[in-house]
Amino acid sequence: MNFEAIIGLEIHVEMKTHTKMFSSAPIKFKAEPNTNITYLDLAYPGSLPRVNKNAVINAIRVCNALHMEIDDTLYFDRKNYFYADLPKGYQITQQFRPIGQKGYLEIDVDGEKKRIKVERLHMEEDTAMQHHYSDYTLLDYNRAGIPLVEIVSYPEIRNGKEARKYVEKIKEIVTYLDVSDGKMENGSLRCDVNISLRPYGSDKFGTKVEVKNLNSTANIEAAIDFEMSRQAACLLKGIEIHQETRRFDELKKETVLMRTKTEAADYKYFSEGNIPPIFIGKDFINRAIETSNELYDQKLERFLNEYKLNEVDARILLSSKELSIYYDEAVKNNDNYQQIANFIISEVLGYLNKNEIEISNFNVKPDDISDLVNLLIKKEINSKQGKDIFAKMIETNKSPLVLKEEMGATIISDPEKIRTDIIEIIKENPTLPDDYKNGKTRAQGFVMGLLMKKNKGKVDPILANKLIVEELLK
Amino acid sequence: MEKELHVLDLTIEEIHSHLLNGDVKVSDLVKKAIERVKKDEFNAFEAYNFEEALKEAEELDKEEVPSDNLLFGIPYICKDNLSTKGIETTGGSNILNGYIPLFDATVVTILKEKKAVLIAKATLDELAMGGSGKSGHKGIQLNPYDENKESLIGGSSSGSAVAVASSVTPFALGSDTGDSIRKPASFGGLVGYKPTYGLISRFGLYPFSVSLDHVGYFTRSVDDAALLFDTLNKFDENDFTSSIKERKAIYPIKNNEKRKICVIKEVIDSIKDEDILSRFNYLVENLKKEGYLVDYVSVDPSILKAIYPAYIIISSAEATSNNANLDGIKFGNLKEGNSYPEVMFNTRNEGFSELIKRRFILGSYALMSENQEEVYLKAKKVRRVVVNTFNELFEKYDAFIGPASPTVAPKINQASDNFDDTYLIADNYLAIGNFGGYPSITIPLGIKDDKMPFGVSITSPIFKDEDTFIIAKDCENILKMKNLSTKTKSIILKNMKEAQ
Repeated sequence: MNFEAIIGLEIHVEMKTHTKMFSSAPIKFKAEPNTNITYLDLAYPGSLPRVNKNAVINAIRVCNALHMEIDDTLYFDRKNYFYADLPKGYQITQQFRPIGQKGYLEIDVDGEKKRIKVERLHMEEDTAMQHHYSDYTLLDYNRAGIPLVEIVSYPEIRNGKEARKYVEKIKEIVTYLDVSDGKMENGSLRCDVNISLRPYGSDKFGTKVEVKNLNSTANIEAAIDFEMSRQAACLLKGIEIHQETRRFDELKKETVLMRTKTEAADYKYFSEGNIPPIFIGKDFINRAIETSNELYDQKLERFLNEYKLNEVDARILLSSKELSIYYDEAVKNNDNYQQIANFIISEVLGYLNKNEIEISNFNVKPDDISDLVNLLIKKEINSKQGKDIFAKMIETNKSPLVLKEEMGATIISDPEKIRTDIIEIIKENPTLPDDYKNGKTRAQGFVMGLLMKKNKGKVDPILANKLIVEELLK
Repeated sequence: MEKELHVLDLTIEEIHSHLLNGDVKVSDLVKKAIERVKKDEFNAFEAYNFEEALKEAEELDKEEVPSDNLLFGIPYICKDNLSTKGIETTGGSNILNGYIPLFDATVVTILKEKKAVLIAKATLDELAMGGSGKSGHKGIQLNPYDENKESLIGGSSSGSAVAVASSVTPFALGSDTGDSIRKPASFGGLVGYKPTYGLISRFGLYPFSVSLDHVGYFTRSVDDAALLFDTLNKFDENDFTSSIKERKAIYPIKNNEKRKICVIKEVIDSIKDEDILSRFNYLVENLKKEGYLVDYVSVDPSILKAIYPAYIIISSAEATSNNANLDGIKFGNLKEGNSYPEVMFNTRNEGFSELIKRRFILGSYALMSENQEEVYLKAKKVRRVVVNTFNELFEKYDAFIGPASPTVAPKINQASDNFDDTYLIADNYLAIGNFGGYPSITIPLGIKDDKMPFGVSITSPIFKDEDTFIIAKDCENILKMKNLSTKTKSIILKNMKEAQ
């Protein structure tokens, strides 16, 4: 293509908090419509906003993950506009002094690392949910006032793939920090794309088009790729690009016009008088960061250095945050890091993938996995027994130690006991040592057969063979 | 005028001692207050709370009167821009006709806990935006001192001022964004007080201009005002601008410690009324005799003249945003339409009066991105200059004092809430108290021609509310106008003459 794409992303992330950004209304997923509300959420006259401390802590953690400068004082402003979903007639946001500024995000595109600068992160509140029907609209204020952070990138993204990687990285950050569900499909992470083209070498910006309603990272990539070709085709034909808002049509895999922007809306921003500037200080910021959950990259480093796993295994265990937590739990009181990793990767993931179950719905406790691996390591059971016990653990939810007893799955590995049995067998068959010494090696197998028979097959075979040879040679 | 005084005509302190002695019951007071609300000739009230009040009074009759709670059983009136649970609260605007709140304003909650008895809601200028007491949906509030019913009481806390001036109750709640308590207090011969910003919770107050709005009240004595201050001066977690400073009781008011106060020359120079000026001089001379140091100081008139324009721009700008919630969708007086924008348009178009729309247009204009720098932000700068000027003054003085209004109450056709060119420093300088969040009080200063009262106002630095009360009490002692109402006017006039 003859053109370079200039792409900036605006991402809204819903924060996971118990209550709303400025009211004490609870936030409960799938609650009955209009039940998670209090006076402020309907903007009753005389209701006043209060700042949710946990939402601030969450925002600080995201800022930190994005390497941002974090303001030690909070300022809130009003964005004024009339709309059905906006109860107060204004949204409380941080227009003039966002909590986070000047950060960056590193993405990995086909093995190459690229830094995308992040302009700002600010806190604000969500609007009510609208349910449109043919001739009426219903409003659900449960969503009104849910804390949001908006993350605005610099226009340094150049194609759909980079954009997808950027959004995936943001999603990874907010889910690993546990500040959001980060689910595009249910709107807890939303992305608007601004895109324009210019000829390579030019330092001017072309006319910007906004693409909205993107509900997956794959759609972001597809929408950008489509938009790049569309705009390029227009430009080559000499058709002017208009400043407009488009949406992505998932079926047609193309962007379609929503509305043409005439003039930028004037939101008449001014400071929110009901919330005076709040000095939070460096200590508060540092505490929020210190008590923050580990990011993917930090966790990876720990898995490599502390658990001495190889990168392939570590990345498999980090493929979901829940799985990585499961592994962390399993090795909490057991330093057989590699063996536990092996068991989880082969047995646990094998089972989950085969049955299409999420780790979060897996009924076996990580402690029990640790115990099971211990039984294997100590050779109290063999690998066949291990598999049988694991299957039973899933079925019954019982601990491996209990199942081992119930299933009689034990291995005799006490050398004195085994030796006594061997001596007894030889005593009953006194010719065997000479046979063995004369080259009839099957004498060894004969003893083993009797030994296994005597012990119902539960003798540690490696140990037993060694002892049999010793006794036959005596 | 009634010949004999009723207990209800006394101050809170006095009523309380009668309750303690048992020579009056709470239900006697409440019944009398209800009777007076029903006989109101000045158009002061909105919703009534009679049934609830009588029920409460009967309950309180059974209780022993606590000697440490002076508000026990005291009837009161509440301005209709303070949210009252279960009682229609319209803010004096048609757009909120029929709106019954689900919650009480914090001040109302506190008074409930103190077992004061709410009798009725008082009307006001529409959504508290006005100073005349003419602009609310109930029409004009009349000044009870004018027997010809030709004078205004002033606003926006017009109904509350009428209630206390005509002795319906010994106190009433109000709100003050520019001078909405202290100006009507002047025209109604009342003590009108607004505290330091952040001391009395704004939770439940319908917002006009949140950076200037204060909840305050009317009483008929400085001591009553001080005891109410102790009651309402509480940190409120529901109001993020509520001060976290530790509260200190100031009632009973301490003795004077020989304070330094100042009078702004430009304010005095802009007053023409000789009766007001001479009475003010009388006060100043007597304060000096009491050991006060009183200086006449000059303040740059261009600063004083900028107060009103800055006030009207800031308050209108904030008001347009603060009232954007009134669209009929969630509550209030919805007017049908075919679409959301149409519903909103019809609701707001029919719900707001012309004057309110003007303010919103002015406020919107001030906030538009192309004007904001030149208009809104400039007004905020002016506000800062004014505050800096008076903060400097407060480094030398404990308060500034001056007549609370340049005239007695205007006649109905003399005042309006339309914007006009005439400008008087003395008519607008009380907004300094709102710009800086300073504690400020009006108390009665005199009665012109033995008919119409006028007041004096005292303003102190922030968090020096106690100083305001100490100085006000000294003034009250000099002026001999404690417990002025239409019921006590003749007694007060006699006392004043004896003192002079």
